[in-house]
Amino acid sequence: MIDFSIILAGFSDAFTLWNLVFVLFGVVVGHLVGAVPGIGPVMAMAIAIPFTFGFDTLPAIAFLVGVNKGGLVGGAVPAVLINTPGTPDAAATALDGYPLARQGKPLKATKMALFSSVTGDTFSDIVLITVSAPLAILALRMGPVEVLALMIFAFSVLSGLVGKSFLKGVIAATLGLLFATVGADPENYNPRLIFGHYELYDGLPLVSVAIGMLAMSEIIRRLSEIHGEVKSAVSVQDAGNRNDQRVTWKEYWSCRYTMLRGAGMGTILGALPGIGSTAAAFLSYSTTKALSTKPETFGKGNLQGIAAAESANSAVVGANLIPLLTLGIPGSVSAALIISAFMIHGIQPGPLLFQDQGRLIYGLFGTMIMANFLNLWVGQLGLRIWVKVVSAPESIIFSSAILLCIVGVGMATNGLFGVVVMLIFAVIGYLMTSAGLSVVIFIITFFLGSRFEISLSQSLALMNADITRIVEYPIALALLALSVASVIWFLTRNREKSI
Amino acid sequence: MSFRADRITGALIATFGGVLYLFIIPRFVDSSQSSWIRPDTIPLATSFVIVLCGAFLVFKPTAHSLQNLRGHFKAVLFFLLLALGLYAMSMFGFVYIAPLLALSLMLLIGERRLLWLGLGVIGVPFAIWLLVVRVLERSLP
Repeated sequence: MIDFSIILAGFSDAFTLWNLVFVLFGVVVGHLVGAVPGIGPVMAMAIAIPFTFGFDTLPAIAFLVGVNKGGLVGGAVPAVLINTPGTPDAAATALDGYPLARQGKPLKATKMALFSSVTGDTFSDIVLITVSAPLAILALRMGPVEVLALMIFAFSVLSGLVGKSFLKGVIAATLGLLFATVGADPENYNPRLIFGHYELYDGLPLVSVAIGMLAMSEIIRRLSEIHGEVKSAVSVQDAGNRNDQRVTWKEYWSCRYTMLRGAGMGTILGALPGIGSTAAAFLSYSTTKALSTKPETFGKGNLQGIAAAESANSAVVGANLIPLLTLGIPGSVSAALIISAFMIHGIQPGPLLFQDQGRLIYGLFGTMIMANFLNLWVGQLGLRIWVKVVSAPESIIFSSAILLCIVGVGMATNGLFGVVVMLIFAVIGYLMTSAGLSVVIFIITFFLGSRFEISLSQSLALMNADITRIVEYPIALALLALSVASVIWFLTRNREKSI
Repeated sequence: MSFRADRITGALIATFGGVLYLFIIPRFVDSSQSSWIRPDTIPLATSFVIVLCGAFLVFKPTAHSLQNLRGHFKAVLFFLLLALGLYAMSMFGFVYIAPLLALSLMLLIGERRLLWLGLGVIGVPFAIWLLVVRVLERSLP
């Protein structure tokens, strides 16, 4: 039975001036960092998490949600202006956004990106709010055996879908599970692989690992690619005449089916772990182009192309939280970062979240809706300002980001030990990405590692260590069969690509 | 057998897994069993999978190539500079070392303009100090 008082209480918690300030601040930061190629919302969220320690849970989450949503919109700015997507999600936006900007209509292109992004995001949030609670009720019926099977299924799908090689996906996933074993084992509390460093007894700090692999390694990669003169992160073209600086209602309305289709695709793909917004954006773009009566206009500044890409990539954000809030399995790195913020505030992810923290979850939903409206407002007002601000040179942006990483991790881990761990994982992240191994898979399996081990132990206890008793668990059996099927499919698909 | 980056990666990964399996895990993880799974079960299983996958990558490499060797060299310089900076921070603290670290980083990136250098070396560390110490009332590392 749905308790409406909890829903109302959650929304009333969200819609306060204090939360509004945090969401607004997050959206502004998100727009800003999204517009800087190489930073992006994930890196910004990773850096920001330690700074939210002192806040109450809801304002902290509200801020991170704002950064995430704002970052996706901001990512379209450099994609349109200089054909350099600020985030990978915006790569499809550049296909039509950049040609439109070159026709002297950069503001029309960025505004279309903004409107379709907010439309897609809102659609996805509505789906999240309506389906996640019933799904969580279903998920509560799952025992350790089903959870274990679900995690195996998620790992197999992640390994196959993220990155270009299934084998490399498996390596990244296994490395994540291996590093998750550092610290006391969950059964006997015996220290493992701590090498005399008792700071590691509770495991490797998630903040150090996440910031090291997602932020620091990427900053170093960007720095290593700078050759010669230090340039601005974004260069700005002057806008054309007034009519070319805005999107009319007629133009927006003409893209309604495109945006609806994009939002639907983004929501469905976002609800599956591992399928990122980049895939959703390209799928939506190619479908729209295929269905168009004028496919030859795509790639030449067609507004439908921008609407298709942006509505889909933004719809993934809300949908990514569906597996997270219902099953405790993050569908993306940004979802993993949001749940790590939950954990920092003492809240355990999983299906019990709705039961134990229902008010907070509906508060989160409220902040998401608020973030969408603020995204629209900030995007409209701030577009010209972001473009000026992000014209700062890369030297100052990246050196500041490094200092923020050091301070953030130092605050989160109460000392320099965590910062040293961050630097080690920055090296590991750099090596992994250089070798073509996905750090996204690593982070997600690292995050789920201890839960995987506990579920395995509980499953063995339930089945009395007799694996044949899996037949008594039909859902788990079906999930394992799906895992095997997906592995076979990925292997046969990869055989065509491998040498 | 043509040379590919994946062959080297696979060999290194397999070696890493092998060293873990044979030497590190037996020495640094307890193997006593008092519950359903031993403390070393997952570490051993994952390192075994890593050896297998690494070996498989050697024989079935993808088209991935290691590009931009100059960039990797620069990355090593940045990592060394950061390690040195952290060591200095452990001795003298963030307040004194952060401006020096920012200056070194900006110079290594290639920034020579005094205005931007001043902003990065004085303005940014000061803003961080203001945010962390004064606004958030936390201590700097």
